[in-house]
Amino acid sequence: MPRIDAHLHVFAKASSEFPRETNEIYPADREEPVEKLMIEMEAHQIDQAVLVQIGGTCIAHHTYLLHCLKTYSDRFLGIGLIPADTPDPEAHMDELTDGTGIIGFRLSSIGGPKDPFAQVDIREFKTYRIWRHAAEKDYVLWLYPRAIDAHLIAYLVDAFPQVRVVLNHLGICPGKGKFSWDAKGRPHIETPSYNPAFHTTYRLSRYENVAVHLSGQYAFSSEAFPYRDLAGWHRSLLTSYGSKRLMWATDFPWILEDPGYGVLTNVFKELLPNLSEDEYGDIMGGTAKRFLRFPERGNN
Amino acid sequence: MMIRPTEAQHKQWEEEGYLVFENAIEGDELRRLQKAFDYWAEKCKPEWIERLEAGEATATFYDIPNVLEKDEVFVDIVDCPSYYGSLMAFTDDDLIFLAPQVRMVPPWPLSYTGWHPDVARTNPLHIKVQIYVNDVEPGCGEFAFVPGSHKPNVGPYSRPKWQESMPGHKTLPGKAGTAIMFNTYGWHTAMDNHSDTPRKSIILIYEKRTPGRVDAKRFASIAHYCTTPQRRKLFSLEEE
Repeated sequence: MPRIDAHLHVFAKASSEFPRETNEIYPADREEPVEKLMIEMEAHQIDQAVLVQIGGTCIAHHTYLLHCLKTYSDRFLGIGLIPADTPDPEAHMDELTDGTGIIGFRLSSIGGPKDPFAQVDIREFKTYRIWRHAAEKDYVLWLYPRAIDAHLIAYLVDAFPQVRVVLNHLGICPGKGKFSWDAKGRPHIETPSYNPAFHTTYRLSRYENVAVHLSGQYAFSSEAFPYRDLAGWHRSLLTSYGSKRLMWATDFPWILEDPGYGVLTNVFKELLPNLSEDEYGDIMGGTAKRFLRFPERGNN
Repeated sequence: MMIRPTEAQHKQWEEEGYLVFENAIEGDELRRLQKAFDYWAEKCKPEWIERLEAGEATATFYDIPNVLEKDEVFVDIVDCPSYYGSLMAFTDDDLIFLAPQVRMVPPWPLSYTGWHPDVARTNPLHIKVQIYVNDVEPGCGEFAFVPGSHKPNVGPYSRPKWQESMPGHKTLPGKAGTAIMFNTYGWHTAMDNHSDTPRKSIILIYEKRTPGRVDAKRFASIAHYCTTPQRRKLFSLEEE
């Protein structure tokens, strides 16, 4: 069974060769290259990974991601981004997936009514065309929506059962104003101890086309590794989704300093100590291989 | 006034773990309840949406907070004669009220909750009364229960992926004013709501008294509504 890190980010220094957006956390001269990731993967017996675009949504901003996927085609699959204001999301999606290794797209909003009592017509959702096109082209949708959008996912998953959906980072949907960067340069999401996702993410387990990342613990926990305050939520996800729809991920590079890549490869020994060998194998890579259709490793 | 359960109701309670009281609340009392429910549900909705956006509340339902203080009708239904006598009978006349959940549930492709019991059998007898504030037709988020699942040495039960896959379950749609009393050791849920009508209901939570279970301060703010010894005891305003 391969071991697969199902969600992380790499980026090069901003340049004309690899243009990208910059900010305080990833300024132009910062780089977290794929080769640095591969050293960590090699050291901790991780075979493959999903590279998730960061640093901009336009086609040009994806240049480094495409470069990595082309250079190491049997090791990585990619997830792209879609500009919120693009008039032609279908063309953008097709261009980025045309034999490149990008298998789907990450969405941070759904774009429907925020009042759960409002009449729902999914054709009026801002992301409807993206979902429809993903259904037509078998693209994966990678979801990290805001709390206000959490209830809308069910309508789309229900309407498009053929779309493979991966809920990022424990299926938690950050609340407005609850995101910040911590002193170690990591995303931090202020999350109440009573997790509202219990009522949305948990219920979505009915749909076989939905999987969940067990990742991002550092961002939600109020404790240091091994983030024991999240153990109950991990158990709930295991009970509802089962190991065949859960995927381990590190969220590299944010975790390099704390808790460290290698430490995270052992997070389930702490949070889910009663996993069977098969369940452990599923979560550490089996699910990602099957659900995302990872290629067999070659020699490149 | 207290209407004690019939022999048939006693038998059903023991064997199946639930009772249905049709028209438990009716006429002017029902209209009074519906008016107060709708008023406060609307009034409290903006704050819920704000909390929802902030990631502090779920989108799948909301409860009107501190509802007993908002309108006396919510206190009056706690010892409504239609079912109060049964509650007393099943707890050996030693009943305490724990909390109300005055709940708005929007339509959603999924039920807002899965099959579950509420408490372990080590807990003192724990009873809920669910009151429909609007008509709840079949397929509109109606309450459902597995008759007999409250008994020891039955099961084991597990949560099925689809609500309707629960073996032996009974769905309980009903008209506004219907009250469903159930032993919460038993497995229960809300079915999927395939309509575009929200489910409006009130869940009243009771328990057989154990000393110190409810602090006398919990319901102090509604003490002025509790002028009889029976009601003061029900709301734990005074220990015997």
